[in-house]
Amino acid sequence: MKQLFAVIGMNIRSIPQRAGMSIATITSVAFMVAVLLGFLAMANGFEKTVNGSGSDDVAVFLRGGSQAELNSVLAREDARLIEVAPGIATDENGDAILSAELYVIVDGIKRSSQTEANLPLRGVQASATDLRQNFAVTSGRMFEPGAAELLVGEGVIREFEGFDLGQTIRLGNNTWTVVGTFSTGGSVFDSEIWTDLGVVQNLYQRGSSVQSIRARLTSPDAIEQVRTYIEGEDRLNLDVTSEREYFADSAGGIATLLKWVGWPLSIVMAIGAFAGAWNTMYSSVDSRTREIATLRTIGFSGFTAFMGTLIESLVLALLGGALAILVIYVLFNGNSASTLGGGFTQIVFSFQVTMGSVISGLVLALAVGFLGGVIPGLRAANVPLLAVHQN
Amino acid sequence: MTDQLPLYQLRDLSKTYTRGKESISIFKNLDMDIVHGDFIAIMGPSGSGKTTLLNQLGGIDSPSSGQVVFEGKRIDNLSQGALAKWRSRNVGFIFQFYNLMPTLSAAQNVELPLLLTGLPGGERKKRVKTALEIVGIADRAGHKPRQLSGGQQQRVAIARAIVADPKILLADEPTGDLDRTTADEILSMLQQLNTELGKTIVMVTHDPSAAKYAKRELYLDKGEFIERGAGR
Amino acid sequence: MNEATLIRKGLFRKVLRAILMMVSISIAFFIFAVLGAVNTAFNAGVDVAAANRLVTVNSINFTVSMPYAYYGRVQQVDGIVDVTHANWFGGYYQQPANFVQTFAVEPESYLDVYSELILPPEQREAWLNTRTCLIVGQALATQYEWSVGDRIPLNSNIWQQADGSSDWDFDICGIFTAEDSSVPTNYAMFHYEYFNESLAFARDTVGWMILTTEDVSLNDQVADEIDALFANSPAETETTTEAAFSQAFIEQLGNINLILTSVIGAAFATILMIVGTTLVLAINERTKEIAVLKTLGFNSGRIFRMILTESFLLSLIGGGIGIALAAGLVVLVAGAFQSFLPGFGMPLSVVLQAIGLMIAFALVTGFFPAFNAMRIRIVDAFGKL
Repeated sequence: MKQLFAVIGMNIRSIPQRAGMSIATITSVAFMVAVLLGFLAMANGFEKTVNGSGSDDVAVFLRGGSQAELNSVLAREDARLIEVAPGIATDENGDAILSAELYVIVDGIKRSSQTEANLPLRGVQASATDLRQNFAVTSGRMFEPGAAELLVGEGVIREFEGFDLGQTIRLGNNTWTVVGTFSTGGSVFDSEIWTDLGVVQNLYQRGSSVQSIRARLTSPDAIEQVRTYIEGEDRLNLDVTSEREYFADSAGGIATLLKWVGWPLSIVMAIGAFAGAWNTMYSSVDSRTREIATLRTIGFSGFTAFMGTLIESLVLALLGGALAILVIYVLFNGNSASTLGGGFTQIVFSFQVTMGSVISGLVLALAVGFLGGVIPGLRAANVPLLAVHQN
Repeated sequence: MTDQLPLYQLRDLSKTYTRGKESISIFKNLDMDIVHGDFIAIMGPSGSGKTTLLNQLGGIDSPSSGQVVFEGKRIDNLSQGALAKWRSRNVGFIFQFYNLMPTLSAAQNVELPLLLTGLPGGERKKRVKTALEIVGIADRAGHKPRQLSGGQQQRVAIARAIVADPKILLADEPTGDLDRTTADEILSMLQQLNTELGKTIVMVTHDPSAAKYAKRELYLDKGEFIERGAGR
Repeated sequence: MNEATLIRKGLFRKVLRAILMMVSISIAFFIFAVLGAVNTAFNAGVDVAAANRLVTVNSINFTVSMPYAYYGRVQQVDGIVDVTHANWFGGYYQQPANFVQTFAVEPESYLDVYSELILPPEQREAWLNTRTCLIVGQALATQYEWSVGDRIPLNSNIWQQADGSSDWDFDICGIFTAEDSSVPTNYAMFHYEYFNESLAFARDTVGWMILTTEDVSLNDQVADEIDALFANSPAETETTTEAAFSQAFIEQLGNINLILTSVIGAAFATILMIVGTTLVLAINERTKEIAVLKTLGFNSGRIFRMILTESFLLSLIGGGIGIALAAGLVVLVAGAFQSFLPGFGMPLSVVLQAIGLMIAFALVTGFFPAFNAMRIRIVDAFGKL
């Protein structure tokens, strides 16, 4: 065992002799892991935001076949029929906890790029606050019904300018005042601007129609009761899903795309890093041929020579991986970004460097280190003993 | 001492190298005995196979035919792994270009062969100290090879060669890279190791004055031995 | 035997090492070429946009519609050659997963505005005269194996007919193509009237209007005039060039350029280090050989050139392989990606850029080794004995 450690120690201590190439290997592994972690951080952050957005016990009603809020049109009668459906929860007054909602797309200016991007202006009813998990007004106050007042999500404030508390802002043809901010703990709703339903219907000439109806279920299972009721009711042509399901479907797209881009790209870069590692190890063995032969002449086994080279390669790869993890974590983690979501509006999310992605990065680094060191290791193990005499 | 079984018995030893279609015979049907306490200098023109012969003695090369018998047992047919073990217990090598590990200090270099024994740390340190003292370089124990002169490096190499108390020391042109004065110092040391500590030494050299330090001179030419300078 | 042989042998002195360096280089150029092709395809909308074509949408957002009456009013504006309108139908064929980009358009004017689309004369006749006609782009027709004469239903996931159903029946009476392969042909169109008169709600609206101006220089003037027409009305408009419109959409996705540049930059920085350090090492090992060449009479300039040529050889071969692999991949997947990246291919511009990069790379990595080789002093080299 001592001989193994001694040889490994010698290998590692000889790294500075090949400083240039060793650094090249470390950086190539670092870049590869950084790319992977960067994409995963985006994907995980996006997923987390969207996944955290849906409740099991809130049902979302849309017009049959519309698939997205923006495509859906519902009428006042629909709301009345839903209110009396079995499985819909009621408050202490016996009223159904229900919010009919309608959103339009408005433009906001992104702080980072100073270009315009789409934001949802959602008209809601009073119960909307009860139908979002972790909802809290974080500054200012709720808007007054009928007033051109806005309650702005924290994500919007972070990523867009002009929405600070007390400011007036022009959206579409109208001027609004920001009277409060809200947070839902980082879910998709933090990327929205809310106002009274009636105001939106009025200003955007929607009459009394809405797009979606959200209602609290008595329990997550109650959704089945609701479905049966709707199917039996001819006057209703609705699709109902739990809010969690609704968001899971829409999130899928971008997160999957990011992972589909991130992993293949990292694998391709890994091939490059692997070639680099192999190259460096090859040089390592080459430049130390006489040393290795001497050790084996003294009596050290071929196995120790193999392990020495392999461990040297793994150490370089691990250093690269660790460097990347550190840099990405510091630069990315917790930082905000926003991109196009399912409804053609921006969704604000935070990069999330998860333990899972860190492990993926390390595994990839180790794989590169291992593959890059294995063949040179075998070469080291088979250095001809007669090389002791070489000049 | 002469009644004991010879340390080495080489019988009918031949070595041929094939390069493509050509076969080059280095030596053929060599016979040789090496007894305990011998100090042999093997000389000869370049290409005569002196180093090749040394390699057979040291188990780092095997003959094309014939036998290398060490203490009554053949070593030419052992596996790589078995030879490695055998070398660690019985052989100490000294090279023309020292072959020290550049990243280790003198003491650490000397300690290397001991890592292949079962000796605990304290015992190893003692032996390293002794070896360094014998070759007279204990004051430089912590220095790295690049901080040592040629002669000093060779001393460290000799210390490394003797630290595990091997039965045979094999030296390949040990003074080839040293100036006259330093060479004499090294050769005297080898002589001392032979006469005072009873180390058996086989030394390959092309330098006649170096050969004078040995007890026996063997001349290898065209694959055959010619003995010269009997006994001292 | 000539200098070329010497150079080749020099580069491949250690075959494995040369191969590993080439692999690294080809990977970097592979990444560059693939990402370059994707970026170009992404921006295709911007590239194929006609310079004198303008798009008018509701100033709130393109998903909000405008009154049909706007169409008539826009035609009064000076400087306009043709104007047409379109509505997003948002269709699927048989199952929601079979997405079909479909628009309800003004038949004749649409073909005038998009003059690059080609429709054989008989098919054009049929298109103008058949109410239920659907003309399908070549790419789309290939995807679903449709031909002229087929009768197919398409469902809308937004619109409903008055009878409550959301499927419309169509006769495919034409398949349109375009000369330029990067012009999308992955969508279908049908008559606005057929669409509008059967709608259950939201009738008499248009999604967006597209128009051509007499000259590019009139673009701004025309755009301003149109928007002025509808200022302070319930549906204000925003008119921009087609290119700007496409660009703005892409920008919503995020700073794609930054991401692409970072990744490509990282890949190249890496191979720069790998190849650069390896070449310096390789030349060091050959000090004596180069000294020998000098004693034979090869002068410093020649040595410099020879070593630099090795670097060029390495870069061009490695880079060439990378580009070839990338082009192969792009061709392979182009079919599968037809629906959202029409005309996906390896653009010449990317290839040319890559070649430029290869040359620059060769110079950067080859300079120091060549310089060192040039300065080897015979005396020192042999003194190393």
